Amino acid sequence: MTVPAIEADALGKRFGRRADWALRDCSFRLPAGRVCAVVGPNGAGKSTLLAITAGLLAPTEGRATVLGTDPATARPRVGFVDQTKPLYPQLSVAETLRMGADLNPGHWDADTAERIVAGGDLDPGRRIRALSGGQRTRVALALALGKRPELLLLDEPMADLDPLARHELMGVLMGQAAARGTTIVMSSHVVAELEDSCDHLLLIGGGRVRLAGEIDDLLAAHTRVSAPAETDLAAHEVVESRTTGRQLSALLRPAGPLPGDWRTGTPSLEELVLSYLRNPGASAPAPAPDTTETAA
Amino acid sequence: MNATLTTVPATTATGPAHAPRQLRWLLRLHRPALLAGAALVLLTGAGLLWLGGPLADASAAAWKQYNACAFDERCSYDQDAVIRHKDVYNYTTYAVLAVPVLVAAWAGGSLTGREMESGTARLAWTQGVSPARWLASRLALPAALAFAATGLLTLLHRLAWTGTEDRIDTALVWDHYPTFYANGTLPAALALAGLAIGVLAGLLLRRAVAALAVATAALGALWAAVHTALPHLWPAVTKVTSLREGPRGEGIWAGQGVLTADGDRLDAPCLTSMLPGCETTLSDMGAVGFYRDFHPAAHYWPLHLVASGIVLAVAALLAYAAFRLLRHRTP
Repeated sequence: MTVPAIEADALGKRFGRRADWALRDCSFRLPAGRVCAVVGPNGAGKSTLLAITAGLLAPTEGRATVLGTDPATARPRVGFVDQTKPLYPQLSVAETLRMGADLNPGHWDADTAERIVAGGDLDPGRRIRALSGGQRTRVALALALGKRPELLLLDEPMADLDPLARHELMGVLMGQAAARGTTIVMSSHVVAELEDSCDHLLLIGGGRVRLAGEIDDLLAAHTRVSAPAETDLAAHEVVESRTTGRQLSALLRPAGPLPGDWRTGTPSLEELVLSYLRNPGASAPAPAPDTTETAA
Repeated sequence: MNATLTTVPATTATGPAHAPRQLRWLLRLHRPALLAGAALVLLTGAGLLWLGGPLADASAAAWKQYNACAFDERCSYDQDAVIRHKDVYNYTTYAVLAVPVLVAAWAGGSLTGREMESGTARLAWTQGVSPARWLASRLALPAALAFAATGLLTLLHRLAWTGTEDRIDTALVWDHYPTFYANGTLPAALALAGLAIGVLAGLLLRRAVAALAVATAALGALWAAVHTALPHLWPAVTKVTSLREGPRGEGIWAGQGVLTADGDRLDAPCLTSMLPGCETTLSDMGAVGFYRDFHPAAHYWPLHLVASGIVLAVAALLAYAAFRLLRHRTP
């Protein structure tokens, strides 16, 4: 009877009646306790999806269920870090954390918040306006984690961080996920950034869900093949195929056993994501994630 | 899973017991504005006390000396005291009238506009403060402070002005418009309207500078509308005078013209039959007298209270609109 962390049902959002849809017909289900990567090109609708889930934006159509309830009710149990890491510039680091304690009475974890800030060698008396981008990210993460969220939504969290800080903060996040069972959803347009730490993928392109599921399942369902140029691939679900000279290389979802003379391999996550993004016409796999979820 | 089991009882035990303490942080975030506002109120208040006490006495004494001179060639009186009273009166009056405008500008620019622009409003909404509570705190506390500040200043202004008409020949009369406004309840009502206008502008425009400009202009427009409508907010007194005398009646005018024998009211081509050419024009029109609709001093409070009521209703509507807007945008 685990309640899914997020359930989206035909979510759509457009800003203004004549504007294009920022998000359209977006349905997926994220089981609790996962670390989920929301991947897609710039302007794909990632931030819109996260803001709706965080209860900051009302969807134009469809419905989002967060931690078993509506996003507004779930707000106290959800942590959110905005893409621009907004903080009050006139407050000091210590004041910002004290504000977090005052605004989250009863469920503030001062130790965790202070530990995250301390990791960055930050003087607690420094004003927020004097911090670098990476240091601001650290304070913003401390605020979001300090409220002990059950679901943590991070919009491009690592963009401003140097590799060392990125590694360290990713470690902190994974520690939280492991110790508390926190579900973490983080968006990025750099796939490599998320590959090691995430176990669930949500690929958004052109405002729609292109691919959703456990990363291992998704990778296992796809095969990279090389075959002679005249080979007929029609029996399988082809995501992308390219012919160079007498060689055909393709990424596909096999419908059955592949002929022995084809050279096959497992794609990397980045290859998989790029293939789907380059081919907007490619159909998403049948909702395999759902069946694995009910089986689990 | 264990973690959720242990944290949930903890939140239910202490969570609802006390709401997020955001007022303290609202004061902290706007400390510079609060200090500047307090300084303005203290300086203006002190100026008004000085004006009503020593300055008014000195000016009255000077006028007494001057009037005692009658037509003596050499007259010695304290001219500086007269000028000082007049100057300080003007400065303090305009300072009192500036408060609603400053409230509107601050509310639009700083209170909501900047938070929407920088995204810190979203930060607050994801830190245990719901959007409705966030907005309520940003309306309630500033409203209390702005109302107290304008209320105090207008009261002090009224005290400093009262009685000067009889003692000081240069004192301004009740219906001199800046004096009229600064002596009554309208500035306090306009300050509350300015706050609501600013908050709504900040939410709508989501840009600090734009909201500051629009809120200031909108409050100016509201004030101008109230000013235009003012003479018609309470039934005026009509005074009918002879053609020779011309229209008469001191106070705030609501309209004047000529009356015909049939009782029709026409625009006045000229204001007394003693002017050359006027008599024939008036008799051609069939005029029998002049009339003037005006508000005497006794209408001061009815005019102020009706106008303040209208402005407060506008403020309440705008505050409601701000809540509706936020409710529409966030779930």
